[in-house]
Amino acid sequence: MPRGISFGLLGPNGAGKTTLIRLLVGLLRPGAGTIRILGQRPSRKMARLIGYMPQSHSLYAELSVIQNVDFFARIYRLTDKAERARRVEEAIRLVDMWTRRNDAVQKLSGGMKQRVSLACAIVHNPPLLFLDEPTVGLDPELRVTFWKYFTGLTKQGATLIISSHTMDDAVHCGYLAFMRDGKVIARGSPGDLKQATGSPEATLEDAFLHFVRQGAAE
Amino acid sequence: MISSQAFTIAARVIQQLVRDRRTLALILIVPLVVMTLIGLSFPEGSVLDYIAPALLATLALFFSFLLAGISFLRERSQGTMERLMVSPVSRGDIVVGYLFGFFTFALTQTLIILLFTIYVLDVHYYGDLWQIFIFQIVVITGAVNLGIFTSTFARNEFQMVQFIPLIILPQVFLCGVLWPVEQMPDYLQWLSAILPLTYAVDGLRDIMLGGESLIDVGVELAILAGFAVLISTLAALTLRRGAAD
Repeated sequence: MPRGISFGLLGPNGAGKTTLIRLLVGLLRPGAGTIRILGQRPSRKMARLIGYMPQSHSLYAELSVIQNVDFFARIYRLTDKAERARRVEEAIRLVDMWTRRNDAVQKLSGGMKQRVSLACAIVHNPPLLFLDEPTVGLDPELRVTFWKYFTGLTKQGATLIISSHTMDDAVHCGYLAFMRDGKVIARGSPGDLKQATGSPEATLEDAFLHFVRQGAAE
Repeated sequence: MISSQAFTIAARVIQQLVRDRRTLALILIVPLVVMTLIGLSFPEGSVLDYIAPALLATLALFFSFLLAGISFLRERSQGTMERLMVSPVSRGDIVVGYLFGFFTFALTQTLIILLFTIYVLDVHYYGDLWQIFIFQIVVITGAVNLGIFTSTFARNEFQMVQFIPLIILPQVFLCGVLWPVEQMPDYLQWLSAILPLTYAVDGLRDIMLGGESLIDVGVELAILAGFAVLISTLAALTLRRGAAD
């Protein structure tokens, strides 16, 4: 898999996207087969290279935005005080939450919590980021904003693995894997996948359905 | 030694509780209300004198267990445990961090109860106050760990609350709080021998009623400390990376 891009895991609910991500970050152990991330098996040693944004907000509700982000910065061993303060501010500014940094997370809206959750996942500047349905429940405007954040991260060289069930997200990805019933049914760049349908005006949605039908026919 | 990661977690646990003013107030007020009611309900001072050491141990166990258990459970139910499990922090650091975080509050509660019992309820005691306090610290350490360990078997707060009648209540009846262990049938005496509260009650009575020192109750202390180490190891082991759901 190439680096510095957004890799989209696309598929309907229950396709196994979350399970795959949890296998990749080491929360689950595979029943069979092995997993290699950045050429290694998932382990605590490489945990600092990985950022993970779970599906739920997963924040400390009583704590403020900055306390949450700072906590994860410490957990990721950003021990130098000045460096940590700089990273915490950068992460919070990236998700446009700096003006709300002292507010308790429980007082924020769902979309804001989602942004703070992203800030917690990127505070240690990981080269590899796993984002489990980061745009679910966001309004269209905020979804576009999130993609602005993601593009900013890939430009800095990070690789993003993003799961989603909407094709609105798929169009932003540099590389896609379509998933269904626990299997990857197709993978490739958005252009390649569209081309595979044989129709020049095909959308990614058409492409997904094409591969589903193809799978059913086999 | 407490690692910097464990210290970070402990600091956060404290930060969280301090920002939750209502919970903080309840933590401080509830023990006082409970002790006042218990104190008033005893008709005779001499009965209270006999029961008081056992009550101190029981309440320390109960409050610490509940506080640690529920908070640790929330770490999982709100999903932050999943983040921690993916991070470089070790399972041991998580358990030790929580232990130190709650320990601060459990210790405060215990101190409130102890001082209230002695100065307001006017319970007569022998032995040194600081020795009583040290003994209680060992009791609390085990209780906080027991709460953390137990919470790994509960998936929500409702289930966690069910563990109170299962784990705390039998100890109140089996461990010599209300009547001497020797008056129970043999098989129940055996059961009481494996329950930590038995040793907590024994030790505190020996200090407060018998005027013994910490060295005299060394066996009880050792057993309680062993229990704390065992249960915290088990708690760390049950925190598998895959146990987040």
